[in-house]
Amino acid sequence: MIKKATHIEDTMRLLGELPTIKAPVPEYLYLATDNARCPKSEIFIKEGDHVNLCQPIGIRHAAFFDQPIHASCSGIFVGYEKHYHRSGKLVNFIKIKNDFKDTMDPFVKERSDEEIAKLTKDEMTEIIKNCASVGLGGSSFPTYIKFQTKAPIKTILINGIECEPYITADKRLMLESPEDLIEGIKLIQQAFGCKDAKICVKKKYHELREVYGELLSRYEGSGITICPVGNFYPQGWEISMIKSATGIDVKTGTLPSAYGIINFNVSTVIGIYYAIKYNLPVYERRISVTGNGIKHPSNFVVRIGTPIKSIIERCGGYKDPEIDKSFILGGPMMGASLPSDDCIITKTVTSVIVLNHKEYKEEPCIRCGSCVLSCPTGLEPISIMETMRSMPVNKEKIKELNPLKCIECGLCTYVCTSKIPVTDYIRRAKVIAKLK
Amino acid sequence: MNIIKESAPHLRRKDSLARMMVDVIIALLPVIVFSLVVYKLAALRNILLSVATMELCEFVFILIKNRIPYDGEKHTIKEKWEHSIKGYGINSFLVPLVSALIYALILPASTNPEGLIYFVVVTGALFGEIIGKLVFGGTGKNIFNPAAVGMVFSELCFGSKYNHPTSTGYYDVTAGATPLANSTTIIESSKALVFNIGDYSLLDLFLGRIPGMIGETCKVCIIVGLIYLIIRHTIDFRIVVSYLGTFSLLMLFAGIIIHAKQPEIGVFNFLGYEFLSGGLLFGAVFMATDPVTSPITRPGRLIYGAILGVSTVMIRLFGALPEGVAFSILIGNLCTSVIDYRKWSTNAYTWKNILALSLIVVLALLCLVWALCVEVFR
Repeated sequence: MIKKATHIEDTMRLLGELPTIKAPVPEYLYLATDNARCPKSEIFIKEGDHVNLCQPIGIRHAAFFDQPIHASCSGIFVGYEKHYHRSGKLVNFIKIKNDFKDTMDPFVKERSDEEIAKLTKDEMTEIIKNCASVGLGGSSFPTYIKFQTKAPIKTILINGIECEPYITADKRLMLESPEDLIEGIKLIQQAFGCKDAKICVKKKYHELREVYGELLSRYEGSGITICPVGNFYPQGWEISMIKSATGIDVKTGTLPSAYGIINFNVSTVIGIYYAIKYNLPVYERRISVTGNGIKHPSNFVVRIGTPIKSIIERCGGYKDPEIDKSFILGGPMMGASLPSDDCIITKTVTSVIVLNHKEYKEEPCIRCGSCVLSCPTGLEPISIMETMRSMPVNKEKIKELNPLKCIECGLCTYVCTSKIPVTDYIRRAKVIAKLK
Repeated sequence: MNIIKESAPHLRRKDSLARMMVDVIIALLPVIVFSLVVYKLAALRNILLSVATMELCEFVFILIKNRIPYDGEKHTIKEKWEHSIKGYGINSFLVPLVSALIYALILPASTNPEGLIYFVVVTGALFGEIIGKLVFGGTGKNIFNPAAVGMVFSELCFGSKYNHPTSTGYYDVTAGATPLANSTTIIESSKALVFNIGDYSLLDLFLGRIPGMIGETCKVCIIVGLIYLIIRHTIDFRIVVSYLGTFSLLMLFAGIIIHAKQPEIGVFNFLGYEFLSGGLLFGAVFMATDPVTSPITRPGRLIYGAILGVSTVMIRLFGALPEGVAFSILIGNLCTSVIDYRKWSTNAYTWKNILALSLIVVLALLCLVWALCVEVFR
C-alpha cells in the first residue's frame, strides 16, 4: 500500500468512555532514586524513619536541574530494592511500607486566592521547583525550566491531544476535572502576563468540545479558547500542534518560546494548579491500562510508586496467557517495551499497554515510499536505511540525510509494506550522526 | 507466557508485500481475460512460457543465494536442500509472477515464422529476469523493470519478425501492422509528410479492435485495472498522472502543428489517437508505477513521470521505432537514482523541484515545436 498514514487503527477506542477508577493503595510503594534524566540522587532519610504523605525525602541531581522526591504515602522507609524503571533500566527504588493513614506533611499548605493573585512568575517558579512538577505527558522535562524563559510569550497552548492510539488518560482527565484545568491555565496566564490560551483537543472528541464550550462561557474574558485540531498521528508532537493551532512553523532546533509560544500538557497544567494552590506535589496520576493482552482495560488514578503488577491484577490479569506478551509503558507507537512486568509507576508513565506479541517476517524493501510519504519531519527513511545497510557505513552520507531531525514517532515502521523495522535503522543512524 | 522486549512502534499497518502483488495480479486479470478471449492459445502460450521461465529462474536463484556458507564440513544433499529452500517464501513466487504476466502481455501474438515465438518468449523472459533483476540481487534491488528489459531485448533482437494476426474474430484487418507502425513510418519519410491516422476509429482503439501486443490493445480493461489499483493504493497515482499529463500536453502541441499543415487531421483526433494507441496506457499503469524502479518522493515521482512522457513523445514522433513506452520506462529507471540522490531529493514541494519539473516539460516542448516546425514548414 503506497499511502500516507493519516491515522492509526485504534481497537481500544471505547476505553475513553469508561470513568476513571481510584486504584487501592498497595502495601508497599516504591520511589525511584534516579531516572533517565537524573543520574545522581541524595536521600535525606534513613531506614526505619517514618515519612508523611508528600514529605520531601530526597533530591535527584541532573546536568542542569534538581528534582526533589516526595513520598506518595505515609509509612515507614524500609530500604532499597531494584526494579525496572520506565526507561527499561534496573534502578534503585526507595521502599516505603504503607501505614494506610495518609498523614499529610506540613509541607502541604493551602494558599488563599489573594495570596495567589500576588504571586509573581519567579515565586511561582520556586513553588513549582519545590513541588517537582515535571512534564507529565511523558517527557519528564522539569516545568520550572519552562517557566524561567525570558522570551515574551504571546500564546499558551495546552496539549490535550494525546495523539497516540489506545491511551485515553488525558481525555478522561479533561472530562473529569475541567475546572482544575481552567484554574491552572489562569495561573499560567498570570505568570506569563498573557491572555491568549488555547486548549488543543482532537476534532473527533465532540464531548470534550461540548463540555469546554459550556464551561468557558462562564469564564467570559478569560482569553481561554478550545481549539480543535486534527485527529492524525503525530498531531500531539509540539511542532505539529503549534502548526495546526497557530499556523506558525517552528524550525527544528529552535524552541517554541522564540516564537512567543509556550506549551504544556493538560496533566502538567493540573499539576501546576495543585502545586500553587495547595503546595501539593504530584503524588498520584491517571493512567490507562489497555491492550489486547489485558482482560478488562480500564482507566485508573494510581499513587506514584505502585507496582504495575498489582494494577494488572485489578484489571483481571492477562488475557490468553498462552500467548507471549509485550509490555509497554507509554503509547503503542513510541512507548518503551520492558523485559519484565516487575515495574513501578513513575510520574511519567501515561499508560500500561499489554499486547499479544506478534513476529513479523521481514521482506526485501520494494521502495514503495510509504515511509517517505508518512514521515512528519520530511526525512527519507528508505535512504537512511539503505545507507545503514551498506558496509562500512559512510558517516558523511548519514549526516547529509540528517537523521537527527527524526522524532522517533515510529510511523516508518508502522506503514512499512515489507515489515522492516525502519525506525531501528534510523535510531542507529542518529547515534552515528552524533559522532564527531 | 513470556514477556518479550521489542522495539517501538508496537503496531503495524494491516498490509503486506504479498497483498500488494496479489492486487497487481487482480488488476491484470481483465487484461489477461481479454487477451485469452481474443488471442486464445497464442496468449495462453505466451503467458505460460514466460511465467514458467521467470519462476524457474527465481527458484534457482533463491536456492543459490541461500546455500549453506562454507564452514569446512560436509553436508548431505538433503541438508543443503533444506537450508536453501527456507529462503523461498510466498513473495519469491508472487514477485516474478507479476513480472512474467506483464512481460507476456507486451509481446505479440505470433512471429514470422510461427515457431520462432517460443524462442522469443523464453529468451526475452530469461534476459529480463536474469539481467534485469537477479544480477542486481533479486527483489527490491533491481534498477530496471524486468518486464521492460525482456520486452526491449526481444524487440531489438526479433522485432522485424513480429507480426500480428490479421483476423482473430474480434477484429479483422487487411494490414498486419499496428496503427502506430503505420503512422510513424510516414512521418519518417518527411518529404511528403502525410500523417496517416489509419483505418481505425477512436472507438476501435478504445475497445481494442486493433492488432497489437496482446495485453495493450483493450484500453477498457486497463482502465478498470487502473481504477482498482488506485482504490487499493497499490500504485502511486502521481506517476500515472504526470506521465499521461506530460504526454498529452506535448502531443497537443504536436497535433496543433500537424493540423496547420494537414487541416484534415483534427487536433483532438490526433491526440486521442496517440493516447489510445500503442502501449502507453498499459505501460503507464503497470510498468511505470513499479515501486522498485521509480523514485521515492512525491516531487520525484512527478519528475519521473514527466521524463517518461517526454521520452515517449520523442520516440514516437522522431524515433526509429514505432513504439517507445518500454524504452522510455528504461530511460526513466535510469534517472531514478539521480532523482533520489540525497543532496537534492526531498518529499516537500520546494521551488527547486517545481523548477526542475517545469524545466523538463518546457525544454521538451521547445524542442518538439522547433523540430516539428522545421519539418513541416520547410
